[in-house]
Amino acid sequence: MENSKKTLEFKLERTIPASVSEVFDGWLDPKIPGNPWNAAEKFLLDPKVDGLFYWALKGTSHYGRFTEVERPTRIQHTWVSPKTLGKESTVTVTFEKKEEDTLMTLVHSDLPDHELARGHEKGWSYFLETFSEQFGTGSRKEYRWDEAHPAVTK
Amino acid sequence: MDRLSDVLTAISHPTRRVIIGQLANGPARFLEIAKPHDTALNAVTKHLKMLERAGLIERERRGREVLISFRGEPLREVAGWVHEYERFWNERLDQFQQYFRDKKKKGKK
Repeated sequence: MENSKKTLEFKLERTIPASVSEVFDGWLDPKIPGNPWNAAEKFLLDPKVDGLFYWALKGTSHYGRFTEVERPTRIQHTWVSPKTLGKESTVTVTFEKKEEDTLMTLVHSDLPDHELARGHEKGWSYFLETFSEQFGTGSRKEYRWDEAHPAVTK
Repeated sequence: MDRLSDVLTAISHPTRRVIIGQLANGPARFLEIAKPHDTALNAVTKHLKMLERAGLIERERRGREVLISFRGEPLREVAGWVHEYERFWNERLDQFQQYFRDKKKKGKK
């Protein structure tokens, strides 16, 4: 498979009804639902700069190395899994006071833009184009599966 | 199952994707939809039920006929899911947020 050097990044935000310190500590506490370690069947966690983590879920292993741990505002670590093709992607989580709550922002960056992860997006985009034509301009286009899903090399 | 899972299940079968393609060209009657498929009519009925459950089609009675039409809205939801990890983190963060919401509620009681 030919891999593009392009990378993907996405950013997610949540407002959490607790103090910045509580939210920061909760994110690194495997007992709290929602953080990656809580979901794991097995995990190792050493949340300090250059500390390592491991967690496995449904037979898939994830590894990482903490690069920034600044209580209570910022955590950054690398993230390696089969989906990153063994390359280090980066997860940055920041915590910011927002009145009584905490604005939590998670950015997952440096994800390899490879076809395994993006293949289905082409399918969705094609569907959406077909629909916008259907409902927007009124022109009709015959659906072709091969056109919607350009060859994916496995 | 949640809505996203229903939609993903619905579009995971080649026949159902072809049906979506057919209906993207405009509403059709059951037999018109079934005609190009080399499969039993009750199999087509099952496919349509799955598409209906996912909210991807709707049936409308017009006199003695039932017209089946396509609905695009649920696919917009799917289109927002462009990467497995985006979905993963969204689910994790929702759980994390819910934990603190529940904790706050309990604290107020």
